[in-house]
Amino acid sequence: MKIHGSHRLPVGRERAYALLQDPEILAACMPGCEALVKVDEDLYEMKMKMALAAISGQFAGKVRIGDRNPVESFRLIVEGTGKIGFMKGEGLLRLREEGAETEVAYEGDVHVGGTIASVGQRLLDTTSKMLIKRFFGRLGERAQ
Amino acid sequence: MASTVTKTEVLFGKKMKRKEDPRLITGTATYVDDIQMPGMHHAVILRSPYAAARIKGIDARGALELPGVAAVFTGADVKDVGPVPCGASLPGLRVPHHHVLAQDRTYFVGHPVAVVVATDRYIARDAVDRIEVDWEPLEAVAEPEKALEAGAPAVHPQWPDNKAFDYHQEHGEVDKVFAEADVVVKQRITSQRLIPCAMETRGVVAEWKSGEKSLTIYTSTQIPHLMRSLVAGMLGIPENRLRAVAPEVGGGFGSKLNVYAEEALMGFVAMKTGKPVKWIESRRENMLATTHGRGHVDYYEIAAKKDGTIVGIKLKLIQDVGSYHQLLTPAIPTLSVLMMPGVYRCQNIRADIVGVFTNCVPTDAYRGAGRPEAMHGIERMVDILAAEMKMDPAELRLKNFIQPEEFPYATATGLTYDSGDYAKPLKKALGIAGYAALREEQRAARSAGRLMGIGLSTYGEICAIGPSPATPAGGWESATVRIEPSGKVTVHTGCSPHGQGEETTFAQIAADELGVDFDDIIVLHGDTAIVQYGIGTFGSRGTAIGGTAMYFAIQELKAKIKRFGAMMLDCDDVTFSGGRCVCDKTGKSVSIQEIAAASYRAMKLPPKTEPGLVATYFWEPPNFTFPFGAHVVVTEVDKETGDIEVKRYVAVDDCGKIINPLVVAGQIHGGVAQGLGQALYEEAVYDDSGQLMTGEFMDYCVPKSTMMPWIEDSNTETATPVNPLGVKGVGEAGTIGCSPAVVNSVVDALSPLGVRHIDMPMNREKIWKLVQGGAA
Repeated sequence: MKIHGSHRLPVGRERAYALLQDPEILAACMPGCEALVKVDEDLYEMKMKMALAAISGQFAGKVRIGDRNPVESFRLIVEGTGKIGFMKGEGLLRLREEGAETEVAYEGDVHVGGTIASVGQRLLDTTSKMLIKRFFGRLGERAQ
Repeated sequence: MASTVTKTEVLFGKKMKRKEDPRLITGTATYVDDIQMPGMHHAVILRSPYAAARIKGIDARGALELPGVAAVFTGADVKDVGPVPCGASLPGLRVPHHHVLAQDRTYFVGHPVAVVVATDRYIARDAVDRIEVDWEPLEAVAEPEKALEAGAPAVHPQWPDNKAFDYHQEHGEVDKVFAEADVVVKQRITSQRLIPCAMETRGVVAEWKSGEKSLTIYTSTQIPHLMRSLVAGMLGIPENRLRAVAPEVGGGFGSKLNVYAEEALMGFVAMKTGKPVKWIESRRENMLATTHGRGHVDYYEIAAKKDGTIVGIKLKLIQDVGSYHQLLTPAIPTLSVLMMPGVYRCQNIRADIVGVFTNCVPTDAYRGAGRPEAMHGIERMVDILAAEMKMDPAELRLKNFIQPEEFPYATATGLTYDSGDYAKPLKKALGIAGYAALREEQRAARSAGRLMGIGLSTYGEICAIGPSPATPAGGWESATVRIEPSGKVTVHTGCSPHGQGEETTFAQIAADELGVDFDDIIVLHGDTAIVQYGIGTFGSRGTAIGGTAMYFAIQELKAKIKRFGAMMLDCDDVTFSGGRCVCDKTGKSVSIQEIAAASYRAMKLPPKTEPGLVATYFWEPPNFTFPFGAHVVVTEVDKETGDIEVKRYVAVDDCGKIINPLVVAGQIHGGVAQGLGQALYEEAVYDDSGQLMTGEFMDYCVPKSTMMPWIEDSNTETATPVNPLGVKGVGEAGTIGCSPAVVNSVVDALSPLGVRHIDMPMNREKIWKLVQGGAA
């Protein structure tokens, strides 16, 4: 599934870029995130709870940051597996200054498998948009 | 008290309510999940979330720590259990070794990986989540045409071209007639993957009696005896120490004409744990891991003369096999080839099948099994030809029918059609529909800018499968008829019905033959400890073969009844009818009940006659039977929404002699529902990585009662000479006749927009795009 969209953060680009790479901030803002631990430069281990329609479960996975181009863009690679299936996603985030604010545009590809795919794919598009929106909303609150 | 009344009412041909229905509609039938046993444990299966993956390790400790969990078994534990069998054989067929649990690799989403046994189903389910599998995901391929491309991921590494088999059949002078033809039309036609969706999912209860060294497997199957023979082999136990019971079976549609990994696995688990074990498939598992149907990509070419005479048919058939061969997987598309000429007189055919492995659940029989695909193909092609030649599709069909005087008719594919009069149901259906008036109405609708369509199909099909040389495991059927000392009649049929109503129709036949009350007859089936060996219910064979076996067993009994009657009446010439033996000279008579009592009491026996009234008959049919019919469908397409309204559905089916018109109508209605499901709604969709996207009823749309049109059903009756009952079979006819008639109707509706073909399912999005001028 292709995903793309953009959200605004009420901070300058340098601050936005830093926020997006701070494990503590990210863990607090990602819906369902239960732990995000830096294990290596650019590599984090993540535990998150996900609910999609009638199915819910815990995911354990890895988040990797690549193609760093401070403060313009970076790539996010997420892999998670759990009892309700697995997900793999890759996306490019681009930051653009808009006056005192920053617009973060993302575009990427998400693959899911297992029960999430056979039961939840119908809701995946809207659910992922909702989760991303919630993430940026919380991040915006934190940033101020 | 013994009856003194001579029965004269004939039940053959009479509408009678089914004996089965009261228990089915009051919740008092016994399905596998209704079976309870002391100490029963429950099994839940861990299935692969990947379409292709290597299993690098399995850690089940977490599951075993959960209180209530008795055992966990993985691939390593079952490596000596025999492979899940493929019963079909073709030259050069590649058969991958199909273990009951995945070994080091999984091949489709839903592939069984481990089984947890616990005291409670919920504990077992929770324990499954505690098993840690170290997966290495691999590249997968889910579409047969993509799997054939060079460089596609290999489903089975040993066969990088993903070919499971090739099959070629040819007759006549195909190249010559195509070269000389006035018209040749070509079309790619798909018959999409479908999920059978039996109302009752699969389920198994296995009980091992260690003292008796015997295993009982209760399973929701269409073939208890074949399942017993094959699972005994898989588990390495003697066949006579395995009892198979098919209790009430809530539909199968071919998906239970199989031997599944789970059936042997539960036997294995019961033997290992010493506990009775129950496994009930969830609906999600059913959609993932029970066989699918269809899965064709067909390339058709049809050649005709100027006057519309069809002279040649070519077919390149790509069959989506899935990851393994289940029991009959490779045989199903060969049935499509056998029926490819349909009801038309065409002696020049060429067919090439390529069976293709994909990382999907295997395909196998599904209501019609190969014949719906074939009829969809030929009936679409005839309509495409009619459109090309600007001929009326009914006229073109009438012109090409095999004529009544040509039967028995040898087809180009090697079959001998038993009997037929194809114009009869077509003319009747056109009459009921008011065809000429409908075409008038259509002209008016079109000039008013409305999209109205009239479509028809004239199908033929193979039933009563089948003579033993043409089937993988014997094509006969068996029956035992026992007249008890009281004169009550117990029939044991080797075919194991699961919704077909044979407890009723067989009783109708037996009541007529023996002159006993309909209510005095019971028909038992499905338990190998009670019923003599049998083949099962599939391929519309139950009544035509199983009913005939019973008929012949009764004839043997009637001869014996007459010997007893002659002795009891002290008369040389007796006639048996209406439940009484009558002395032709004196007119004195004795009832079947009195004869039954005397035969068991055995104070005196006729010469060379054993006591009792029991006969067993195994009947080998000399041929298949070939029912036929015509369906006419009127549709209107909503330009704004793409919605298709089925305004009229006329079905005229000829299934030979009709025993019970209610049962026949029920089969047609159910069959049409499934045909309509394929035509309009249903499709099993896998994404590129082999994930099933239609894994529940929210995404896989089977028609609900409110989505069904009113079916104007009727029949013509053309008896078959193949069996003495004259019956042909009707279990699949409705499905087979339906999908081409519906698609022909919608294509006809959209033909003013230049539409020539639409692949199924014709959902609103597809139709709306076509109306807007885009590609389907």
